[in-house]
Amino acid sequence: MSLVLILNLIWQISTLALVALGLAIVFGKLRIMNMAHGEFVMIGAYAPVITASLGLPGWLQLPVCILTVALVAFVLERSVIRHLYGRMFDSLLATWGIAILLREGVELIFGRGYQSVSPPIAGTVTILGADYPAYRIAVIAGIAVGFAVLAWWNRRSKVATRIKAMVGNPELAQAVGINTARLSAGAFVFGCCTAGLAGLVLAPTIRIEPMMGLDYLIRAFFALVVGGLGSLEGLAIGAGIIAGTQSLLGALASQTYGYLAVLTLSILFLWLKPDGIRPSSR
Amino acid sequence: MKKITGLLASTAVALALTGGVASAEIKIGVLVPDSGPAGLFGPSTRNAAMLAAQQINAQGGINGEEIELIFADVGVPPAEASQAALRLWKGDGVAAFVGMHDSAVREALLGRFNGQVPYVYTPVYEGKSCASGLYVTGETPSQQLAPVIPYLMEAENVSKWYLIGHDYNWPRDTNALAKEYIAEAGGEVVGEEYVPFTVAEFDSSLQRIRESGADAVLITLVGGGSVGFNVSFAGFGLDDQAIRLGTLIEENTLAGIGADNAGRLFSSSGYFSSIQTEAAATFASDYTAAFGADAPPLNGLGQSAYEGLMLLAALAEEAGSLDVAAMDAAAEGLTWRTPRGDNTMIGRHMAQTIYLADGTGGAFEIVTSFDAVPSSEACDG
Repeated sequence: MSLVLILNLIWQISTLALVALGLAIVFGKLRIMNMAHGEFVMIGAYAPVITASLGLPGWLQLPVCILTVALVAFVLERSVIRHLYGRMFDSLLATWGIAILLREGVELIFGRGYQSVSPPIAGTVTILGADYPAYRIAVIAGIAVGFAVLAWWNRRSKVATRIKAMVGNPELAQAVGINTARLSAGAFVFGCCTAGLAGLVLAPTIRIEPMMGLDYLIRAFFALVVGGLGSLEGLAIGAGIIAGTQSLLGALASQTYGYLAVLTLSILFLWLKPDGIRPSSR
Repeated sequence: MKKITGLLASTAVALALTGGVASAEIKIGVLVPDSGPAGLFGPSTRNAAMLAAQQINAQGGINGEEIELIFADVGVPPAEASQAALRLWKGDGVAAFVGMHDSAVREALLGRFNGQVPYVYTPVYEGKSCASGLYVTGETPSQQLAPVIPYLMEAENVSKWYLIGHDYNWPRDTNALAKEYIAEAGGEVVGEEYVPFTVAEFDSSLQRIRESGADAVLITLVGGGSVGFNVSFAGFGLDDQAIRLGTLIEENTLAGIGADNAGRLFSSSGYFSSIQTEAAATFASDYTAAFGADAPPLNGLGQSAYEGLMLLAALAEEAGSLDVAAMDAAAEGLTWRTPRGDNTMIGRHMAQTIYLADGTGGAFEIVTSFDAVPSSEACDG
C-alpha cells in the first residue's frame, strides 16, 4: 500500500468524522433527524465566498463562518426545532423543508453557479518521498487536535448527561435545575457550527454550489448508522469504516465497487445491527 | 349556473380571439432546463433564445411571419418532458421545436414527434441521432477532438493520455473516438476510467493518473464532478505532470474550478464567450445590451439555443415552409453565418468552427480555431 493511499485514507476518514460530528450531536443526543445538516456544511463552505464578496480579509473567514452558521441555527432552533425534541419523524420532515429553504436562500443570494475558494496553504509537500497537498496535511492535523480536545472535554463535562436527561424527560430535567431552553439551543447550535466548520475547511478542496449539502448528509448518516449514536468512539469507527471502504476499494478496484460496498454495508447494518457498532446507552 | 355558462362562453370567445390574433405568428417551442442537474444553464439558454427571436423578427421573421417563443421546462424526467412538449405542440399550436437538454429527453421527444414537426437539437452530444425532422447544431465528439488532439500533442509535446469520464454513453463514445485520434497521432492511452455520478471525491483516480505517467488527461466528467476532479487535480500538483483537455468545460465549470486550479486546462467547443471574431463580439454586446451586465454569463450550452433558432430560420427560409419533408430536402449543404462562424449543414449536423481555449488563470483564452469541422457522427444523406 503506497503512502499516498494511506494519506488519502486518513484524509477521507478525518474529514468524514468532522462532517458527521454535528449530526452525531443533533441526531444522537437531541434526537433531531437533521436533514438540513448538509446545508450547514454548504453555508460554511460559502463563508469564504461571503468574505470575498464583501472585500473582507481572509482571516475573517472563520469568524464569518461561525457567526453565519450559528445565527441561522439559532433562529431555526428557537422557531422550529425546539418544538420537535423527541419527535424524530416530525423533525425529519421539518428539517427536510428547512434544507430546501436554505438551498433556495443561498441560490437567491449567490446564484446557482459554482464558486471557487483558494486554499490558504498552496502547493504540495514531500513526505517520505510522496507528494501530498500541504493544505490537506494541515487540515488532518487540525482535525486530530480538535477531536482530542473534544474527547478530553467530553470526559470531564456533564453536558452530555444533562442533554440526555433533557431529551428523556424535559420536565424532570427542568425540576432539577437544568436550563433546558439554553441547553438545547446550545447543543443544536454547536452541532450545526461543527458542520459549518467542516464546510469551511473542505471549501478549497471541493465543488461549491447550493446543492452540495446532500452528499455530506448521506455519508454522515451512513457513518452514524455503522458506528452507532452513542459516543465519539462510535463516530470514529463509523467514519473509519465508511470512508475507509470507499477509499480502499476505490483505489484497489474502482470507484463503482467502492460506492456499491458502502451502500451494501449501510443496508446490512440497518437490517442486522440497527444500533451500530457502539450503540447509544439509552 | 347561467352565470357560469355565460362566463365559460365569454372565455371561449376570448380564447378564440387571442388564438386568432396569435395565429398570424409562427409559434416555436423552446425546451430549456429550468430545473434538474442542468438547471444552471436555464437562464442563459432562455436569454440566448429570446435574443435570437428578437433578431429574427427584426429581419422580417421566418418566411415573412413573425415568430413567438413558448418555453417549457425539460429539466425533468423524459416522460414528463415529452408531455410538456406535447402540450406545446397539440395545445398551443407550436410549429417547430428547439431543444437544449440531455439525450434521454431527446429520444423521448423523437418518439413523440415521429418526424411530424421540425426539431433542432442544440447542446454538445454523442452524435448519430438521425430521426426524420431532427437537425443538430451541437458539437459531436469527432468535431471537438479530431483537429484538437493532434494539435495539442504537437504544440504541448504530449503523447500519453489518460481518459476519465462519468459512466454513461457520451464519455464512452467520446473516448472510443479519442483512442483512434490518439493512435493516429502516434500517442498512446495509458489509462481509461469511468466513475459513477454519485462519487464526489477523486483521490484514487488521481493517484492512478500519477502512477500512469500520463502527460495529458481527457476529461469527460460533467458538471459538479468535473469541478471536484479538477480542483483536486491541481491540489495534488498534477497540473505540473499533465495538461488537461475537456469537451464540456464551459465558463460556469471553469468558475467553479477557480483560477488557482486551472493551470494548463484546455477546453474544446464551438463557442466561448471570449471568442474575438467580429460576429461573436457583436453577439456578446447585443446580449449585454438586452439583458444587462449582471445577466447570466454566456457559455457554449446557453448560446446553443441561439444557434438552434438561427438554423431553424435559415432552414425554413430555404425550404419555404416549416414542413419536415421540404426542410429535410433543403437541409444538405445549407450554409449560414452565426456568432460561431460560417456553418454548413452536412448530414443534418452542423459543420462549424471549433475553438480550443486555455483556461489557465481562470478565464478562457482562445488558443486557436479550426474552420468548417464536419461531424463524423452525422447522418447519411
